[in-house]
Amino acid sequence: MKFLKQVGDYAKDSFQAAKFIGQGLAVTFDHMGRRPVTVQYPYEKLIPSERYRGRIHFEFDKCISCEVCVRVCPINLPVVDWEFNKEQKKKKLNHYSIDFGVCIFCGNCVEYCPTNCLSMTEEYELSAYDRHELNYDSVALGRLPEKVTLDPMVQPIRELAYLPKGVTEPHDLPKGSQRAGRHPEDILEELEQEKAKRQKASADSENN
Amino acid sequence: MESGIDLQGSVIEILGGFGIPAGLAKVIWMPVPMLLMLVAATVGVLVSVWLERKISAAAQQRVGPEFAGPLGTLQPVADGLKLLFKEDIIPTRADPWLFTLGPAIVVIPVFLSYLIVPFGQNLVITDLSIGAFLWIALSSITPIGLLMSGYSSNNKYALIGGLRAAAQSISYEIPLALSVLAIVLMSNSLSTIDIVNQQADYGILSWNLWRQPVGFVIFWVAALAETERLPFDLPEAEEELVAGYQTEYTGMKFALFYLGSYVNLVLSALFVSIFYLGGWTLPIPVETLTQWLGVNEFSPAVQVITGSLGITMVLLKTYLFVFLAILLRWTTPRVRIDQLLDLGWKFLLPVSLANLLITAALKLAFPVAFGG
Ligand code: SF4
Ligand code: SF4
Repeated sequence: MKFLKQVGDYAKDSFQAAKFIGQGLAVTFDHMGRRPVTVQYPYEKLIPSERYRGRIHFEFDKCISCEVCVRVCPINLPVVDWEFNKEQKKKKLNHYSIDFGVCIFCGNCVEYCPTNCLSMTEEYELSAYDRHELNYDSVALGRLPEKVTLDPMVQPIRELAYLPKGVTEPHDLPKGSQRAGRHPEDILEELEQEKAKRQKASADSENN
Repeated sequence: MESGIDLQGSVIEILGGFGIPAGLAKVIWMPVPMLLMLVAATVGVLVSVWLERKISAAAQQRVGPEFAGPLGTLQPVADGLKLLFKEDIIPTRADPWLFTLGPAIVVIPVFLSYLIVPFGQNLVITDLSIGAFLWIALSSITPIGLLMSGYSSNNKYALIGGLRAAAQSISYEIPLALSVLAIVLMSNSLSTIDIVNQQADYGILSWNLWRQPVGFVIFWVAALAETERLPFDLPEAEEELVAGYQTEYTGMKFALFYLGSYVNLVLSALFVSIFYLGGWTLPIPVETLTQWLGVNEFSPAVQVITGSLGITMVLLKTYLFVFLAILLRWTTPRVRIDQLLDLGWKFLLPVSLANLLITAALKLAFPVAFGG
């Protein structure tokens, strides 16, 4: 009897395994009918989100060589090459560079720069044949990246956050479709209207 | 039963009309089907490589090959060309002879097996009376080639890969042969033509699938393992063994392994459709169809139409199984080597043996239904 039970259990196991494989096949079969969500990269590009931390932009004239960026950087990365100008009694910046082969794009330098001369751009295509080419000097850092939406060679594709509610497929959206949630401008306008109303109300109550 | 198109006979007759003796005509005819078979096998491989890539892409919601040719149909050709132009490297202190012979020994038996694949009553290269046996025998040459290439690569991963490949092929050879034996028992013949003809009487109802469901599943699982398809692609398991016995192979020799595995996949699918799904027969028998339509079954036009319908049927059934294999690839995870051997020796072997015995018993008990 024990043997029979073993055989029965074994058969049950086998049938269950077969059932699970069948279920798995059903899932893969179902997936075949779905549209690919691929972004066809060189021809289509995702629009980076508003707070995307891409390559760092640097404005030479704004920099006061305070080296705050070096101190807040986790690896003391920015190289600030300055000398003291005796006549003006001021630091004079000669050179500034960040090595993007080493940078982790944490954005600390941008956050703490007192004169806002550092900023993050949406550029992410930093590939180079030699890693030393990633060491950007002040001229390279001063370049502005090409916007995806303005590039005639590229079809810009919206990210998930910019799609209407419930939509996950950015490819054939109708024109002018709104993204989910409200725009910050709208919220600001609403707040300002409310403020104006409140002021009006308080002014009214003062008058009365 | 000599119905259907007889290309060889008619070609010999036509050549005889030009005053060429029958013997010479036969010699002229001989290379044609062989070349045709080579071309057909290669085209079958190209199609299945393309299908593999496209279906994989669809199952993962990718696009897949797209730029080479319309819908990427030239992609397999491009792959082949690329492999052709790669440098051919033989590792230092490897055995150059065994290293070169390995892939050839893996590929040649697979192509040879096409000798006995029938696409119609007379659309077969040789109607051997030991057809199924020949296939089983040929497919057991493959492990020698695998072992050879693994052993001669002068690389421990390749050696382990080769050993694993051989172990796998040998352990799945037996259930495969046993389930083929059950079919042979029911058809009273080893010839592939006879096996199909025996399933032809009642259309879809007389296919072996209904009489041998267990054998069918065992055959398909064992065939997948033989062709090293996922979930049984252990010999080249890239996580554990880098690429198994192919680790050291480059260029055309690597391509031969690749080609061999795809030809083998198509071949296995062909044999599934021949052994279990009635080969070139239609789901509704041709005789019934011609009766319904009121045409003469033996008129030449109808013969040509049914012949091409038969080829289409074989290809349809075959590619259904190729498709299933690709779908399985993206569904099932790879098994471990101990699970693989467990499945082969502790499950498939006893079950296929029981299947064979039950078939024999049923044949004695119900000779009408089981080909007594
Ligand atoms: S982004 Fe971070 S890592 Fe890069 S330079 Fe600025 S502080 Fe350093
Ligand atoms: S923190 Fe800003 S201002 Fe100061 S050195 Fe760095 S880049 Fe220049």
